[in-house]
Amino acid sequence: MFDISVIQQNWPLFWNGLLVTLFYSAISIAAGLVIGLIVGLIQLTGSRALSALGRVYVEIFRNIPLLVILLWIYYAFPIFAGLAVTKFWAGFAGLSLYAGAFYAEILRAGVQSIDKGQTDASTALGMTYGQRMRRVILPQAFRRMIPPLAGQSIIQIKNTTLMSMITVPDLLYQASYVSSFTYRPMEVYTMVGVMFLVLLVPLTFLSRKLETISERVK
Amino acid sequence: MSKSDPLLKIEGLRLKFGQREVLRGVDLSVEKGEVVVLIGASGSGKTSLLRCINLLNMPSAGRITIGGEAIYDADPAGRDGNGVPAKTVNRIRSQTGMVFQQFNLFPHMTALENVMEGPVTVKGANVEATRKEALDLLAQMGLQEHVGKHPRQLSGGQQQRVAIARACAMHPQVMLFDEPTSALDPELVGEVMKAMVDLARTGMTMVIVTHELGFAFEIADRVIFLDLGTIAEDGPPKDVLLRPTHPRLKSFVGRFHETADLLRPFLEGG
Repeated sequence: MFDISVIQQNWPLFWNGLLVTLFYSAISIAAGLVIGLIVGLIQLTGSRALSALGRVYVEIFRNIPLLVILLWIYYAFPIFAGLAVTKFWAGFAGLSLYAGAFYAEILRAGVQSIDKGQTDASTALGMTYGQRMRRVILPQAFRRMIPPLAGQSIIQIKNTTLMSMITVPDLLYQASYVSSFTYRPMEVYTMVGVMFLVLLVPLTFLSRKLETISERVK
Repeated sequence: MSKSDPLLKIEGLRLKFGQREVLRGVDLSVEKGEVVVLIGASGSGKTSLLRCINLLNMPSAGRITIGGEAIYDADPAGRDGNGVPAKTVNRIRSQTGMVFQQFNLFPHMTALENVMEGPVTVKGANVEATRKEALDLLAQMGLQEHVGKHPRQLSGGQQQRVAIARACAMHPQVMLFDEPTSALDPELVGEVMKAMVDLARTGMTMVIVTHELGFAFEIADRVIFLDLGTIAEDGPPKDVLLRPTHPRLKSFVGRFHETADLLRPFLEGG
């Protein structure tokens, strides 16, 4: 039968795991957004070399499974480069680079979805590339990008669990640990699922709300 | 720029889209205050020519000067590309106003913000003074009731009048109109045409691409017929539209002719 005391007795471990999960989620989403903005924008400058460079980055990180990326950065990269990579840097870099590729695609698609006439009209007024982006294109594109950005960020929070494979002590890692000495996987993994539900259902709800708002201002 | 120089001068202009040559050596001069209408079948290059004037389309050869200053000057060695620096291009662009078929207003801004955007962002103009002028311009367009509305809350005719006000706010030397009434419901065409006629009366230099030959007849000082990327006929509207010589122009204005023939007894009082 379901023994809740397993959870209660080991609550500090779950709590620490949750904080680690939230910490990595927050910093990798933030860094991913910065990477995505840069990579997305260089793909839109019209320079073929820069655009190809961005494309290569996006395709590499979109098409290699995140778990493989994390394992590669933590175990393989140090051998290539001859330098030590800590768990923190492996987890942070892997998650951020992976998220950055998806955010870049969202940004590029958002900007490209804006009618060509908007570029014509702002160019005809004498605006520079920067002015066109800042005043006309990005304000419209960002509104369209809110729902996919929110969706991708929720996926990102769930993806942090893969860091347990490189021994970052996130929620899933702590749960595995608790399970290993209590022999109660049923209670422990159910708890992990519940904690993610409690965390993400409100966020999903919020992103739906943002979607209807961005629909209205379109 | 000496007094006799034309305001807009286009010499040997060529434009290629890939392998297809859309403009094959166009020479055109427009005097200050002149209203020139470009007509031609679709694919004749009239919209392309208009979009070359402010470099929304980048030509492949030739020279364009506005107010005596080159905005496009092909490399003398004959390579593609513009010998004029981007900064100069943007500055001269801001001295041309453009009105589009699909209006292309900025949907995230109100009518007033649309009109203020150019002067404030591009020229760094004083916000309060610009607001006052923008309100005046919108009032001239009969839009004083609508200054706070977003484009989606306006009819096509109202949107196009906001677009005209937006272009005027930059104090352009020349206004370019790309089929400004083609996307409008028939009952809204008149209000936009009237705004354009009013603007022409103020002495604004205008280059207009349109399919409305009756409107061309009324507003134009000169009508230019483009065919296969070159100027096939150029003259006052009564010559080009009523006494065409070029065979393709004859068939092009055929329908207009039938109407004009029907109306002639009334127009000539008998």
